[in-house]
Amino acid sequence: MNFTGYARPDGSAGIRNYVLVIPWGLLAAKICDFVDGTRTILTPDSGSGRTSRDRETIARTLIGLGRNPNVASVIIQTLSAGAGYPELKPTRLAEEIAKSGKRVEILDVAKEGSTLRALEKGIQLAREMVREASRLRRQPFDLSHLTLGVKCGHSDTTSGIAGNPVIGNLFDRIVTASGTAFFGETTEIIGAEHILSKRGVNKEVSRRILEVAAEMEATAKSTGEDIRTVNPVPSNIAGGISSLEEKSLGAIHKSGSAPIQGVLKYGERPEGKGLYFVDNWMSMGSIFAGYAASGAQLVIFQLGGGGVVGNDLLYTSTAVVSPLMWTTANPKTLTMAPTSIDFYSGTVIEGKDTIEKAGEKLLQVVVDIASGTMTKVETLRHTDPTQIYLRDPSF
Amino acid sequence: MTSRGALMLSEKDNVATLLEDVASGTGVLIRLGRKTSTVNARENIPFGFKIAISDIAKGANIIKYGETIGIASRDIKQGEMVHVHNLEGGRGRGDLVKGDAK
Repeated sequence: MNFTGYARPDGSAGIRNYVLVIPWGLLAAKICDFVDGTRTILTPDSGSGRTSRDRETIARTLIGLGRNPNVASVIIQTLSAGAGYPELKPTRLAEEIAKSGKRVEILDVAKEGSTLRALEKGIQLAREMVREASRLRRQPFDLSHLTLGVKCGHSDTTSGIAGNPVIGNLFDRIVTASGTAFFGETTEIIGAEHILSKRGVNKEVSRRILEVAAEMEATAKSTGEDIRTVNPVPSNIAGGISSLEEKSLGAIHKSGSAPIQGVLKYGERPEGKGLYFVDNWMSMGSIFAGYAASGAQLVIFQLGGGGVVGNDLLYTSTAVVSPLMWTTANPKTLTMAPTSIDFYSGTVIEGKDTIEKAGEKLLQVVVDIASGTMTKVETLRHTDPTQIYLRDPSF
Repeated sequence: MTSRGALMLSEKDNVATLLEDVASGTGVLIRLGRKTSTVNARENIPFGFKIAISDIAKGANIIKYGETIGIASRDIKQGEMVHVHNLEGGRGRGDLVKGDAK
């Protein structure tokens, strides 16, 4: 099975074809206002006042987004609060992204002598780069060129029974075809980490899975709070989930059954292909940018939604350069948001499809989207802020 | 009698997840693969919520997916709804560390 995508110099395949302008700030925002076909990451996380570990996470995210196959070329502007730190120097970001072979330009405000002159130059540069990207034509690629990331959210009991297992079946198909798949949300493996750990490809991976879960649980306990007042979130409880353990045991089904090749940091690129666990945070404001930075061309939000009322326009743009598709297995959620949901797996609950059959149908939808069909919410123009997943205190 | 009933995910489970809203007194078809049984609902239970398929004593494990999802915080009768009012999760509980849990 093939999809059609844009060939990149490093051998990867874009399913979209953007010019990325980073880091976020006035220049990047205004260039993107003026020039169609551009993307930027809207985030307050500039690196200023952050530890070296956190600055490296920001750098890894920016570099990863630049290297994402959906990006044709990159402009790096120098007017960022974090630009003085070694990790976030524009030249360093440019060098790392340029390793992928794609065009990277630095828009040097000091050299232009004025922000407005730099803006004019940036707009003209972006226009030229967007036209250059538009000359590329889609061509066929097999599924080994596809990388997906998934989050399950507003989970209810349909998520664990059907929604997540169907995603898991999709992941098994992608991994069998030598593609790559990411799942994560470390808080939400607590109570199920012993099951995931057994799927580590080697002892070290198995140990790391238990370790990240233990670290997260220790952090949760250190707050002195009852985790049930934090996670499961209120909509989970309203949807029938009674404990973090129950949520986790349902959540892990989205990973399918393949061996887990490694545990990645937020925004870290995998060394090989296959299934990876990402040590990240469940928030949709954060997780998707991390997946895109790790290389996912398409991200999936598997929605329970039993506890969500009246929200028919589901949205987030936080994957920045990668389209987002919504799936649900809850018939009530489908009825609530038919103009947002790209795939419905509730046919499994209704006895019309097996998990296997629904997974096969979902793969067809994924290939169609990868080949250029827009997801339902991709049609909306709105930029949500992205919260890069930083672990340390700020100073 | 229900049509879709409720789903067990492992033979070890002592709860099943309802695939439709059920009214008190309804006989609920409990499905585990091809095996079925019936439990009478003791109260109204909505779609997606759990029904006890056997009596569960206070302090006993509540099992779903063949795994522990919490313990019974009071005696639960077969056919009752199982949720946060009678199930106590045990993981990540900072309040238990402090010792101020109920």
